[in-house]
Amino acid sequence: MKRLLLILTCLLPAAVAAADNIDLVTVPPRREVQLTIYNSEDLTLVRERRAITFNKGLNRLQFSWANTLIDPTSVHFSPMERQDELEVLDTTFPGTRPQVLVWNVESEFDGEAMVEVSYFTSGISWAADYVMITDPDETEMSFEGFVTVTNKSGEDYEGAEIRLVVGVVNLVEEIERLARGDVPPQPGTPAYDRLRPQAMRARVGRAEMERAPESRAPEVVKEGLSEYFIFTVEGVQTVPHGWSQRMQSFRAEEVPFEILYRYRPHQYGPRPKRFFILANDEEHNLGDSPLPDGVIRVFRRNERDGLGFYTSQNTRYIPIRADLELNVGTDDQVVYERDVTRAVRSALTLDAHGNVRGWNERRTWREEIRNYRDRTIRMEIRHNFGNNDVSFLMPNAEELLVEPLRLFDNSTVEYTVEVPPARRQVLISRGLFRLGRNQRREGVTLLEPDDDEEQSSLEPLR
Amino acid sequence: MTRVTLILALLAAAVVSALPVNPASGRIKLVTLPVRSRVEVQLDNPDATLVEEERVVNLLEGTNHIDFSWANTRIDKDTIVFRPLVDDEKVRIIHVAYPPGEDALVWEVYSEESMPVRIRVSYLIGNLDRTFNYRATVNHEETSLTLRNYMRLRNFSGERFGEDVGIWAGFGVYFRRPLGMTESRQLLLARFTDVPVEKKFVFNWRTGQEVPDEPYQRYVAMHYVLRNDTDHGLGEFPLQPGKVRIFQQDGRGGEAFLGEDWGQFTPIDDRMELYLGLARDVQVERTIDFRDRHNVKGNARNHEVVLKYVVSNYRTEATTLNIEEDLRALRDELIGRKNRIPDWTLNDRTTDPEKVERVSAEALEVHLPLPAAPEAADDEVEEITFRVHVTFRNEW
Repeated sequence: MKRLLLILTCLLPAAVAAADNIDLVTVPPRREVQLTIYNSEDLTLVRERRAITFNKGLNRLQFSWANTLIDPTSVHFSPMERQDELEVLDTTFPGTRPQVLVWNVESEFDGEAMVEVSYFTSGISWAADYVMITDPDETEMSFEGFVTVTNKSGEDYEGAEIRLVVGVVNLVEEIERLARGDVPPQPGTPAYDRLRPQAMRARVGRAEMERAPESRAPEVVKEGLSEYFIFTVEGVQTVPHGWSQRMQSFRAEEVPFEILYRYRPHQYGPRPKRFFILANDEEHNLGDSPLPDGVIRVFRRNERDGLGFYTSQNTRYIPIRADLELNVGTDDQVVYERDVTRAVRSALTLDAHGNVRGWNERRTWREEIRNYRDRTIRMEIRHNFGNNDVSFLMPNAEELLVEPLRLFDNSTVEYTVEVPPARRQVLISRGLFRLGRNQRREGVTLLEPDDDEEQSSLEPLR
Repeated sequence: MTRVTLILALLAAAVVSALPVNPASGRIKLVTLPVRSRVEVQLDNPDATLVEEERVVNLLEGTNHIDFSWANTRIDKDTIVFRPLVDDEKVRIIHVAYPPGEDALVWEVYSEESMPVRIRVSYLIGNLDRTFNYRATVNHEETSLTLRNYMRLRNFSGERFGEDVGIWAGFGVYFRRPLGMTESRQLLLARFTDVPVEKKFVFNWRTGQEVPDEPYQRYVAMHYVLRNDTDHGLGEFPLQPGKVRIFQQDGRGGEAFLGEDWGQFTPIDDRMELYLGLARDVQVERTIDFRDRHNVKGNARNHEVVLKYVVSNYRTEATTLNIEEDLRALRDELIGRKNRIPDWTLNDRTTDPEKVERVSAEALEVHLPLPAAPEAADDEVEEITFRVHVTFRNEW
């Protein structure tokens, strides 16, 4: 059911004084409709074009939107033709008739002109989601992206061009709140539901039948706009109220990816997490557009022509060429343990009463990574020492580490190690903590390793 | 329905001397209701709306009583000003009386002769106000925009003012329009074309939106900056506070919405900065790279800190990133909350001190040029590393 009405009321000069004196009413149909849907906010910009026949003189255009979620402050009228001969004198919002406005348009001609009416509505949304299916060896994947448009706006949009904006726009007021300012029946209430056409499903069926049959799914064309990206769905679509429509936005095959384990207890908890890492670029058969925030569902194809499920999680926006790092959770085939094997205190500082107020503590850690997988794994390890004053060293680090020992930040050491299949990697590291009054600064200093009695080692698992 | 009434009561001199307590009853010989001949709504004061109305009353020689009453409207009784638009010698206001318990007053006016007189009544009225809003359409290249400044007049005063009301915002266009009861009316006050616009990218660790799963990152914000001066196509009047909605031409004959913000009051020669949305193709990671402290005297110390910013620009255009750092907040974070202005200096481990601007005693800004992402698909986006080395002096 159409809730939006554009009524043209042409007033003869004599009738101008009597506001309710309507001489002629026409309801020009929409010629074109375009929906620009934002996913960061409950916001859709609707632009519709209609051909209107103007009379020379004052024309009153009434626009009404009963039982929809249109923001009345956003409704904008602009002539697309003969702009110099059409002037919008003002826009009136009659208090006695909510969800109605009247444009008073002065025309210098008798005749037709195309006009555009644009407005914000809430209730239409879109979301991205992805399906990743890795091969059994976990070296390549198929990667599909989808967009789903959902219309709960109260208005049916037939034959609409659909554009989806990937970006986070700033809104200072919610469109839904602005729209509800004077809307008596609210969606979800019995009163609102009573207004819904009973024969919606049957009518939509007719609309679908009237369209030419599609021989293929519409493509999604991507282009940049300011700091955002716009996905335009090819052709026109019909999105009735209450319906959702899911479309494929891209599909990439044989996408290579790497696996990296990360141990960051201060960030991910006590167990290492496994990450699938790829980039949104040509090398990975991607890179046509940024990847919008959305749910990624990750599966693994097993040897029995079936699938295994890994994870479902929200991913953040990925720019073109940026890395996509997907946390697929812990891996029971990889074990990580870390213990303090020794603590030696020294350099005691006493106060006047002989109480200890400062001391140094040398700790030795033993880390063990056991790899029960049949392939070499790579693990990136970070340890955060907070505001302590620590000197840190790792004996024979140069032999063991595939990335050099470094400070990620002032208080965090980072190193990366590879563990072959069925091997146990033992890492020995030491830290000298200056505590209490002995503390001179905050943060970690990396020291060169010296000849140490205890060395890191790589051993078979059994 | 008109709620404000002006009643002319013509009284014989003998009756005047015996006015009852309620001057509106039992003393009226003849009543006329002169219609408004002119109404002006003055909206130049943001806190008060002044209505001026003119009516023609037929005064008789001698004393006349003019009743002015209102119902269901919020007229400020103390602000009502009555002015006959004739020679002061011919028509004189004797006094004004306020009947008890009524929204009314009565002017006693003496006229030298019988004649029609144009009078003007001015008063402040409530629930008749205005807001301002702006709609800007920026070109596809984001170099200039067309700015429309609208005034939205809201009449919930309970009064219908008629079909030809003068409306003045204090600037822009003077309008004559109908103004009905419980009606809002949006009017285009001014339209500015070819207004140059500056696009600004801001990274602020304290106010920036957090990036999911990236504790060392914050999103970069995109701002538009307009300058309210004649060199930039504006400068005709101060820009009033109001919502600014920005659209961009999409290069295909249409528009897309870029974002909105509350525009602050912007005097002439000042600038209006609008936050529109996030620029997620510029990524910034901020870490504390180094900390140290040095004893000065007693418990006073100097605290050194090096902040490291690693910036990646995935945009296809070069740009400048503005990194804002709140030094009071940084000092409080590192040393503890102090009720003192930080005493800080920029030190030698700063990557390029010329790119660092001391904005105030508590803030600095880095203006960091970023190259565009390389065109060749095989080339990786360059990571730009910038360090800011600050010493907080004499803290305890």
